[in-house]
Amino acid sequence: MAEKWRLVYNPEGDAADMIAFPSALVEGRIAGKYMLSSESLPNTLIIQGFKRAGIIAGADVNIDKEAAKKQDLDVAKSARSGRGAPKSVGSMSLSDMMAKGSRKFKPKDVDPDKPAVLLYTSGTTGKPKGVILSHRNFITQAVEISDHYFKMDHKDTVIGVLPLFHVYGLANGLVPSMYFGCRLSLVPQYSPHHLLSNIEAVKATVLIAVPSMYMHLIQLARMRKSKIPKTMRISVSGGAPMPLKTLQEFEEVFETQISEGYGLTETTSAVCLNQSGKAYKEGSIGPPAPVIEMKVVDDDGKDLPNGEVGEIIIKGKVVTQGYWNMPEESAETIKDGWLHTGDLGYRDEDGFFFITDRKKDLIIRGGFNISPREVEELIYTHPKVQDVAVIGVPDKREREVVKAFVVTKEGEELSERDVLDFCVQNLAPYKVPKAIEFRESLPKNATGKILRKELRAGFVDDRLINKEDTKEAAE
Amino acid sequence: MKSETLVTLISEAAHSQKKRTALLFEGREISYSQLDETTSKVAGGLEHLGIKEGDRVAIMLPNIPEFVYAFFGIQKLGAVAVPFNTMYKGREIIHILNDCGARAIITLTNFANLINEVQSEVPSLEHVILTGERTLLFVEPDTTVSVQMVVGKDVFPDADEAFRITGNILLDALKELGVEDAWYNHRGAIRHNGKKIATILVSEIENLLVINSVLFIDDYDIDQFFKVVWVSPEIKDKVLEPMTSIQQITGSKPDMEAFKKAVAESAQKRLGIDLEVGELKRDELFGYQKQRSLSYKL
Repeated sequence: MAEKWRLVYNPEGDAADMIAFPSALVEGRIAGKYMLSSESLPNTLIIQGFKRAGIIAGADVNIDKEAAKKQDLDVAKSARSGRGAPKSVGSMSLSDMMAKGSRKFKPKDVDPDKPAVLLYTSGTTGKPKGVILSHRNFITQAVEISDHYFKMDHKDTVIGVLPLFHVYGLANGLVPSMYFGCRLSLVPQYSPHHLLSNIEAVKATVLIAVPSMYMHLIQLARMRKSKIPKTMRISVSGGAPMPLKTLQEFEEVFETQISEGYGLTETTSAVCLNQSGKAYKEGSIGPPAPVIEMKVVDDDGKDLPNGEVGEIIIKGKVVTQGYWNMPEESAETIKDGWLHTGDLGYRDEDGFFFITDRKKDLIIRGGFNISPREVEELIYTHPKVQDVAVIGVPDKREREVVKAFVVTKEGEELSERDVLDFCVQNLAPYKVPKAIEFRESLPKNATGKILRKELRAGFVDDRLINKEDTKEAAE
Repeated sequence: MKSETLVTLISEAAHSQKKRTALLFEGREISYSQLDETTSKVAGGLEHLGIKEGDRVAIMLPNIPEFVYAFFGIQKLGAVAVPFNTMYKGREIIHILNDCGARAIITLTNFANLINEVQSEVPSLEHVILTGERTLLFVEPDTTVSVQMVVGKDVFPDADEAFRITGNILLDALKELGVEDAWYNHRGAIRHNGKKIATILVSEIENLLVINSVLFIDDYDIDQFFKVVWVSPEIKDKVLEPMTSIQQITGSKPDMEAFKKAVAESAQKRLGIDLEVGELKRDELFGYQKQRSLSYKL
């Protein structure tokens, strides 16, 4: 005879029922087990529909209850689950894991040149590569670069709004803050309003951010007029160049000084700084930090004189030892300790560097590298796609966005929506193309290599500050 | 003596800073001493799992204190931290975890589903460590329906089977309701044309399995929910994964009775059981009332 199960049918349930039914059943069975209750509870299937709209949320989710009331939404929150709460099969909770560790754990004795972190970044080769960063790389960044430019100590409150999984937030935010005993204010969800109120609430003295955040803060401040927090002693911008106008307005409104940094994941973040009010030149990435060697070379690796454009190469204790499990790529990128950045530029007579172009096919959006190859390879797996090419193009605000040129297979129909949905399902949002253009064919050279340059009419590099732009901004 | 490595960085800092604040987060203050103790426990906990110096441990977390605990806990053990973008999707995550051979991942409870889906393709990954209570689910009349189970662990040979059989029950029911070519992804969601139509999560507690699944019978008005919920972009992005519904695929939506009938029939067949409509027992009813009032009060 088949086992009897109970069916709980609740066609007009609500959000709280989603939590209450299973918890009550679990509680009943577990309590029953211990009380040796004679009435054993059966296996149960619960089928529910809903008569009201609602939200079921974990204890840490922030919900605006007033707004929920106005929207007529129920809000059911799970109780904070202690140890022993139901957990996803095959997983454990961090707190359960920590319970097996002792607060007296003795840190291991580790060679400073051993890998401490792998940070994955997109290159030209498609899939992201793991940049190996050692303890020494991070400590050098904190002590010999960060601290060289701005001394931070326990009196400082640093805003941690940049993602900590990115080299900039990790190597210039988290590590130096902890090293120098600062207070680090973690901001997990960026919105201009959130950031500004956090700066205000914690009386931040150090802001490490990207240009778009500085722009947003100015816009907010303009609307506010009063109550602008003026506690920030140090402001650092990186990831993309900042228009001079933004820089000047921010400095004026927030009474601070902005330094613009340049660096790569492969250099554990910053290697040069263009310091407003100190050593500053418009449009430059600044001179390298004292512990960094930086020069411009031609295709044969020969040093170029001041003013001549070539590839920028970097040497110093912040340079990675290479990519994880990729000896060939590592050897190609780092030669005799010199990291080949793929950025083209020149040095002026005062030792300031300027970037003019990018040697590699790489799209950079808000400081995140995007490999056109990776996006192409993904779209190529769509069954209705014959051919595809991906390039970076400027959007209305002259920031670089991903654009895909797609050739549909003969006899198939493919819409922009189809391609976008496919990308959204498989790629991080910043890699998803902002524009799709359908073509009959793609421009190729004799060996079948796609000629991206031909697709790139009107292309502007996101990291370049155009002389025209800055002139305009200054006027 | 200042630290030369990230291994000793926090203990050195705690030595000089002591009770001074290290982290500020949503009105909470975490001192250097606390941070030192917490990261020690993470290091010890990982060591207890068999993680050794040089092993790779992935971190997929937003800027919350647990990121800092995980990061410096891994460092104290001399293991290699692999923090990566919380926006990454299935195949991006698979690539990174396989490339570095991560033995463990520390991530948000919200991403349990995502990790479940990729885990079978990442042979090196032995430990999934979850933190944060940011699960988020929306329900709406005539749009969402839920199928839940509270059953003894002996019902299924293992967790994979619990996922698979639940997946098949829902697939059968969808078929009955006119959705032909949906497919079930190992330990994950049910999709149609790549778009999600149902989600399944299997949890365990003592000798019980709790299975939660939600199906979409019509398209959500998702914006109404985000007017009142504040979540980080990576969570929002996962919630907004392209979805489809029975209505979208078949042009009509079943009423509750038809849905119940389809699910119940398929469950009886797939599980070899007899289902009988029943009420909660007295003790259960008491627990149910208590849970309801608690969840609306929190």
